[in-house]
Amino acid sequence: MHEASIADGLLRTAISVCRDNGFSRIEIVRIRIGRASGVMPESLLFAFDALKAETIASESSLVIEEVPVAGYCNTCKRDFTVSGSFILCCPYCSSNSFTVKSGRELDIIEVEVGEDEVKDCLKDT
Amino acid sequence: MKLKIASKILDANERIAQDNKRVFSSMGVYVINLMSSPGAGKTSLLEMTINELDGRLKVGVIEGDITGTDDAARINALGIPVVQINTGSACHLDANMINEVLGDLPLNDLDIVFIENVGNLVCPAEFNVGEDIKTMVLSLPEGDDKPLKYPLMFQESDVLIINKIDLKPFLGVSIEKIKSDALSLNPSIRIFEVSCKTGEGIDEWAKWLHSTLKA
Repeated sequence: MHEASIADGLLRTAISVCRDNGFSRIEIVRIRIGRASGVMPESLLFAFDALKAETIASESSLVIEEVPVAGYCNTCKRDFTVSGSFILCCPYCSSNSFTVKSGRELDIIEVEVGEDEVKDCLKDT
Repeated sequence: MKLKIASKILDANERIAQDNKRVFSSMGVYVINLMSSPGAGKTSLLEMTINELDGRLKVGVIEGDITGTDDAARINALGIPVVQINTGSACHLDANMINEVLGDLPLNDLDIVFIENVGNLVCPAEFNVGEDIKTMVLSLPEGDDKPLKYPLMFQESDVLIINKIDLKPFLGVSIEKIKSDALSLNPSIRIFEVSCKTGEGIDEWAKWLHSTLKA
């Protein structure tokens, strides 16, 4: 439900990083989203595309890397990954004593930027 | 050209949340972010808690609703300082909304501030607002399947208050299942069973608040 506010924050960060580095166009925004973060990639893409219009990111695409939920079992000492969005118990030994190692990510990784092409209509005259 | 960023998308919210927390703790105020589905009984729980504390702890309340001032009016009727935030369409309170109303409560005179979040079992769990603990309310009519359906809320909460236990005889709902599933998701979650109708269990919750604030 709040993917729009997340997309808004994401765009603001990307735009300010792009400008701060002297570039005028955003081509790709890469982010990492854990499956336990509660954020739906489809909704985020939809919100991003709606909000990017009329910004320097208007032609950009959002590339989402999904991170599975992984844990470490404190009982049988094994690493494991689950397919859902949370860990209920260790899939090997059913222990409730585990440490969540990944799945809550909501990170911006990088922005690919470029310069607007210089308008050279004056050159030929 | 690639520009590496490596920052959290919610960094901006997190920074403001930390600012809020500094303000609250410098005034000696303990802050509870109160979350639940709509209608689980957050405001009723606040009314009962305020009555039970009976002035022994000085309480302030921040009410978050999409629209309306009904909840703030209920708290105001008890003579408790309250400020209403209308989020417009936002499904949760964020740190900046809290930051903007910090000056509207007499923090110097308060021991504890309850932030009643927008009724929603999903989004509020993801936005820290500068609280010391997160407390969630689940009411029995919502069903005993909720911990496994909304795991993040149960994982993020420090306290779970199971409300409307007076309705147990009329519902085929297992309090034991709610408790065991919640504890599987979050072994350190503290659970209270209350009825805001009969007042059952409110004393224990209030007692716990007292001892937590003293610690």
